[in-house]
Amino acid sequence: MTGLLTRLNPLVLLAIGLTAALGSPAVRTLPIALAAVTTYVVFVVLTVPSWRYPALCLAVVLLPMASVAWSTWLLGGRDAEVAAVAGLRTFVLAWPGAVAAGYIDVARLGDYLAQSLRVPGRFAAALSAALQRVAGAWRTWHDLERSRRARALPRRPWSMAFALLVHTIRDATRTSIAMDARGFASAGRRTWAEPATWTRSDVSVLVTAVLLALLPTALHLISH
Amino acid sequence: MNSALTSTTRYRTIDLVTIAMLGVAFGVIFWGWGKLYDVIDLGAAVGFKPAAALLAGMWLIAGVVGGLVVRRPGAALATELIAALVSMIVLGGTSWGASVLLSGLVQGLGAELVFAVFLYRRYDLPTAMLSGALAAVFAAFYEWKYYFVDWDLTWRLAHLGFFTVSGLLIAGAGGWLLVRSLARAGALDSFPARRS
Amino acid sequence: MTIAFRDFSWTPVHGSRPVLDRLDLTVAPGERLLLVGPSGSGKSTALHAVAGALGTTLVGEASGSVEVEGRIGMVTQNPSSSIVADRVGRDVAFGPENLGLPRDEIWRRVDEALAAVGLPHDRDRFTSALSGGERHRLALAGALATRPDVLLLDEPTSMLDPVLAEATRDAVLRVVGGRSLVVVEHRFDLWLEHVDRVVVLDAGRVVFDGSVRDFRVAAVPEALWMPGRPVPVPVEVPADLVRPVEPITVSATDLVVDQVTRGLRGTERTRAVRGLTVELHPETLTAFVGPSGAGKSTALLALGGLIRPVSGRVDPPSEIGWCPQDPELGFVATSVRREIEATPHALDRAVDVDALLEAVGLAGRGDDHPYRLSGGEQRRLALAASAAHRPGLLLADEPTVGQDRGTWALVAGWLGSAARHGATVAVATHDPDLPRDRDVLLQAGEAVS
Repeated sequence: MTGLLTRLNPLVLLAIGLTAALGSPAVRTLPIALAAVTTYVVFVVLTVPSWRYPALCLAVVLLPMASVAWSTWLLGGRDAEVAAVAGLRTFVLAWPGAVAAGYIDVARLGDYLAQSLRVPGRFAAALSAALQRVAGAWRTWHDLERSRRARALPRRPWSMAFALLVHTIRDATRTSIAMDARGFASAGRRTWAEPATWTRSDVSVLVTAVLLALLPTALHLISH
Repeated sequence: MNSALTSTTRYRTIDLVTIAMLGVAFGVIFWGWGKLYDVIDLGAAVGFKPAAALLAGMWLIAGVVGGLVVRRPGAALATELIAALVSMIVLGGTSWGASVLLSGLVQGLGAELVFAVFLYRRYDLPTAMLSGALAAVFAAFYEWKYYFVDWDLTWRLAHLGFFTVSGLLIAGAGGWLLVRSLARAGALDSFPARRS
Repeated sequence: MTIAFRDFSWTPVHGSRPVLDRLDLTVAPGERLLLVGPSGSGKSTALHAVAGALGTTLVGEASGSVEVEGRIGMVTQNPSSSIVADRVGRDVAFGPENLGLPRDEIWRRVDEALAAVGLPHDRDRFTSALSGGERHRLALAGALATRPDVLLLDEPTSMLDPVLAEATRDAVLRVVGGRSLVVVEHRFDLWLEHVDRVVVLDAGRVVFDGSVRDFRVAAVPEALWMPGRPVPVPVEVPADLVRPVEPITVSATDLVVDQVTRGLRGTERTRAVRGLTVELHPETLTAFVGPSGAGKSTALLALGGLIRPVSGRVDPPSEIGWCPQDPELGFVATSVRREIEATPHALDRAVDVDALLEAVGLAGRGDDHPYRLSGGEQRRLALAASAAHRPGLLLADEPTVGQDRGTWALVAGWLGSAARHGATVAVATHDPDLPRDRDVLLQAGEAVS
């Protein structure tokens, strides 16, 4: 438990989850499943700051694991081993990404998307601005709930979601006007106040993540 | 100053910001829906799992709505993808990890493709339903490969069928009705969709 | 000329009449202009025209021209809508980034702008942790960092308590220097001594344009908050519309309440109310007053049972009326009529919708969509809709903020009439003119008197 995950740039953290998910279809036999699960558990244990968050993630990932395993047993020939592999494959698909996502510094995501991945600057900046409105969306949701409660009306999620969307689009209009008043409309070539740096840890974890994701495929090829 | 004169490809600030903020709002909605859906899904798995796909169209609505509201190339894809990103990174977030982002990409591509085929000129109910349906077809193929690879073909086809119907109705027709209500509430006055 | 409107008209989509009607108006370099007018007179639209938002972000029909020389900087009505980053420094950097400036120049401008507005050491603070007054100053810094030639301020002080309002005005006057300044404001007395010229808009036309001295004695629309004009007479509401079904006393003991903010990275708790003991009685209008951020709104929520206290006791009644600060958050229906009927119908209670509409000045608007009303109309509808079931306890959060004298008189009249006819009424407000029976002064979450 080195806490390395807390020092990685957002793209590397996204890559951990994406590579794990992309590599998961190669998990087709029990030995390969156990190998992949073990390596990811070791990798996560070595890099997280504490066991609590990965454990929480495991708790939520158990639901889709159970659902996939059981349905595979029921609808895929009632073979216990195939079902178990399907459950473990879902673990590889979901768990590493769920853990890594918890450490993403959302505020820096736009910087990295624009500077490292060359995503168009105005789009990356709009995304950054929107991402820090999540707290506002929750607050609006609570206010909608309160006013319905006060008015003795049913709190239908559908009607509240609609009101949230109306509020969101109006807020987007106000935000656009404010952003354009600060030169956003004509920002052809934006610069960025903070650099998107890649440390040695970023690079080595990225390489490790790719290797871990390739492991099931490699084992599969060797065993044939 | 007439919006009919502005091109269909150039993004105004409000287009970019609305896509991003709609994506965030849908991400929060998806996050809440996901907590409920996990339980429904598990319940369905005990009974008849492919039927759970009947509700899965909900996951596709962000792309259809983004495409119908903003009406620019890439709007549907970007809205769905951002919604997926947000529902993934809300703390204690998703039970599906980064797979959510892949789903969002695939679903967004499906929805986008229909708008593209109509050259970003048609935004009526049939187009919306096709968009939802194709997003569902793409999503179903993704899930075959990544989730349900060992299911017998019959069940996979059932899953595809249920998913497509759900995409057609919930994401397509539902998304279209949602956009119409938004327009009636005056929320879309800055968009061509105000006339819908 | 820095700004020149020439015969400029603007009709928004779905608008039935022009919001700006053949407007002719110029602003000279370095001139400080106060722009006033009743609700819906076109003040904000005029600023949007200068900022280049008409025809791009906002769609409609335009004729004539608006010319602007130099760069504009604008502070919008709700500063929270202009925040684009999670840290103060990055938020101010947004403008310089758009200008494509090199990194060291960006940060030089950020520091310069933050120092100018009096937030010198706050680069790394979270924008979500800023108070209302600080948000205004942040928005001002964000505008300054682009080194604008014109500053446009849309109601920069309307949401602030009097002390903060003056501090914000002083911050503006410190930084404005030789730039042109256009300020839009409802309660504008604190600007009068500091501007060169006043323009009054009414229904999209200029009805007065002259010096401050001439303005003070000019015949201007009745709805304007002219200094020295007596407070408007609250409009009485018939007793049958507001008399509570059942009078209620609400008491709270040692109430401690947290505001919980939920973000991407988990939840944050801040203590908003620390040990409030208060008793609210029928036939009494209680005003919770105190500086912005003192916990007034949270106290109201807790008294109405809409937020669960951390500790302490409160026995909220089962039926309440709650009018939120943002009226749109309370709307549930697609027509004004159904909006008002919603709660009485849910409680199986008769309601005279037409009389209610009449009482809030919305007669004949029953079929309109609530979201499509103007700001002042929404405020009045929200009040009528939240109180249509004649609750014993009526709570309103900043009910008069940013309203012209017409809406003010209707809102103040409703609250006063409800109290007089037996309701227990409480408001959170920093409006010293709102008639009330009793003040509860909150400071940092505690009642100090």
